[in-house]
Amino acid sequence: MTAISLHHRLPEGWGVPLVVFACTAFLVVVIKLISPGSALAQQIEAILVTAIFLVIASMGQGLAILLGGIDLSIGVVMGLAGMMISGLTNGADAALGWAVPATLASCAGIGVFNGLGIALAGIPPFIMTLASGSIFFGIGLGFTAGAAQRPVAPVLQKLMSGHVFGLPLPVLLLAVFAVAAMAFQNGSVEGRRLYAIGSNPKAAKIVGLPIRPLTVAVYGVSGLCAGIAGVLLAGYASAATLDMGDPFLMPTIAAVVIGGARVTGGRGLYLGTFAGALFLSVLETIITVLSLSQGLRDIIEGTIIVMALLLQTAPGKRRF
Amino acid sequence: MKITVKIRRALAGGGAPFATVVCLLMYAIYAVRAPSALSIFGITNVLNDAIVLAIGSVGLTVVVLAGEFDLSGVGVIAIANVLVATTSGATGLGAVGSLALVLAIGLLVGTINGVLVALFHLQSLAATIGTMIACEGVALLILPAPGGEVADNIATGLTGDVAGVMPVALLILGGFAAAWFLFKRTSLGVAIYATGADAQAARLSGINLRRTRLVAFMLAGLCYAFAGYMLSAETGTGDPRVSSALLLFMYAAVAIGGTSLSGGKGGVFGSLAGAGILTVLQKMLFALGVAEFYTNIFNGIVMICALLFGNLASLLVGSVRRQVAK
Repeated sequence: MTAISLHHRLPEGWGVPLVVFACTAFLVVVIKLISPGSALAQQIEAILVTAIFLVIASMGQGLAILLGGIDLSIGVVMGLAGMMISGLTNGADAALGWAVPATLASCAGIGVFNGLGIALAGIPPFIMTLASGSIFFGIGLGFTAGAAQRPVAPVLQKLMSGHVFGLPLPVLLLAVFAVAAMAFQNGSVEGRRLYAIGSNPKAAKIVGLPIRPLTVAVYGVSGLCAGIAGVLLAGYASAATLDMGDPFLMPTIAAVVIGGARVTGGRGLYLGTFAGALFLSVLETIITVLSLSQGLRDIIEGTIIVMALLLQTAPGKRRF
Repeated sequence: MKITVKIRRALAGGGAPFATVVCLLMYAIYAVRAPSALSIFGITNVLNDAIVLAIGSVGLTVVVLAGEFDLSGVGVIAIANVLVATTSGATGLGAVGSLALVLAIGLLVGTINGVLVALFHLQSLAATIGTMIACEGVALLILPAPGGEVADNIATGLTGDVAGVMPVALLILGGFAAAWFLFKRTSLGVAIYATGADAQAARLSGINLRRTRLVAFMLAGLCYAFAGYMLSAETGTGDPRVSSALLLFMYAAVAIGGTSLSGGKGGVFGSLAGAGILTVLQKMLFALGVAEFYTNIFNGIVMICALLFGNLASLLVGSVRRQVAK
């Protein structure tokens, strides 16, 4: 009953993110219960710091899924971004001024390449992004021979461990990013156009929406987000490997869908993606705290993902 | 009745012929550089390399045709692999017993996926991420580290040849192709195409969507399990961590073979050819002396090209057909 009354009072689509936030809060309480010794504020701080990569990378995945597509190159782009930033700066802060823009531009470029293949050549997003991931991974491998790069510039490492006004810098970054992403996806004209294209491409075409430029832009933004996430991840881990982004690919998809998006496009708020990413990060933390064998951890994680999906699907809803 | 017309067109279409030609061309290039490729030993070798991917993508094709996604394949393959490695030995269940066990597990996971998607209306892409992770966990519980031993009769029996003329792998793949040839003409096969092409129209014409989706996932689970059994035969050992690259390769094989990822169009023959392309490509590049890490780049380019030419071919051949189908 509560879910139904929420749907009546709130703008459309807010129900699922709120349920996911509630689940996340529940998991945080569980963490407190199973490890009563640790301070809750510190736990939450730690979770938020590690959540930033998934939150940022999921933004791009959310936009691609909103258009009815998908971006499978995110993991590779994250790894490439980390390798580029550490390779270009070589442990020196002086180079950051040009290395960061160069890295992010390259990542956005990979996204634009995806978008062009999808929008102009008509290749299905699933295959286009999978193929480009493979291609750019190969190129990255060719340049680096697979070796881990030199240490990341100290400023980046400080960015991921520093505090301002008593709050960790990454948490502030997270908040700023989330607000900006919400403003873009659910507050701007462009964002609304993406919903129109995703829910009915044919109608959007007839109305004259710029489908192709927007598609290219969306995948470009997705590449950019993955790039930012990769640079931050390199700063956090103070090192980079080419495959360090791989574990994030599936969670970006899971975060978007748990947040209430429809895989065929046209539905889902950024708030939902944000909630989904936080939920998965908390879940990851809780499973680590439990100190179980890796096998049991995986089983619990998989089961909880399915349970979260079951919880947000209203019973009796027909789907065709 | 319009729907049956649509379905017949869908059955007639698909990129299988194109993918087969590309696969054979690449094999020819490979054979020029490595003449042993034409011997029975060489052919058996290539087929053995391709068979896990091929059978996995056969299962995936059935789900994709029904208009759904399934990421659980690598999880089932991992469970099957570690089960065979731990139970097929002399003191265990033997070759047939472990096959039955593995198939039962595959059917179980397929049924869970099917129930979540068909009865609880979960989005298949997300639900199967959950089951994939859970399956990988189960595989790790059964065998925490690589090891175990696969019974000799599985390892040698399934990877060799019959009387020096017929690779066992070819017999198995032929069996799958024949089974599909018969299956897609049954009412269930037609229902899968119809559900993927237009679920609402299929429902209105009396097709039971729930049952169709459930069966598609169950068949896929069986195929993944058999793919895992074959993987055990190839490697002769168990490894709980099956590379997630295999999952993406399965999707690539399906798409290169001309099956539409939005459902209702394509078929298993194309996926077999697609798996062939991806396998022969590695062999060909290796025979041509291309450095190993460039194979990633070529893999990507081949995927894009196959789709591009597939689009082009269907534009030339079937612009009228597509108009009707829409």
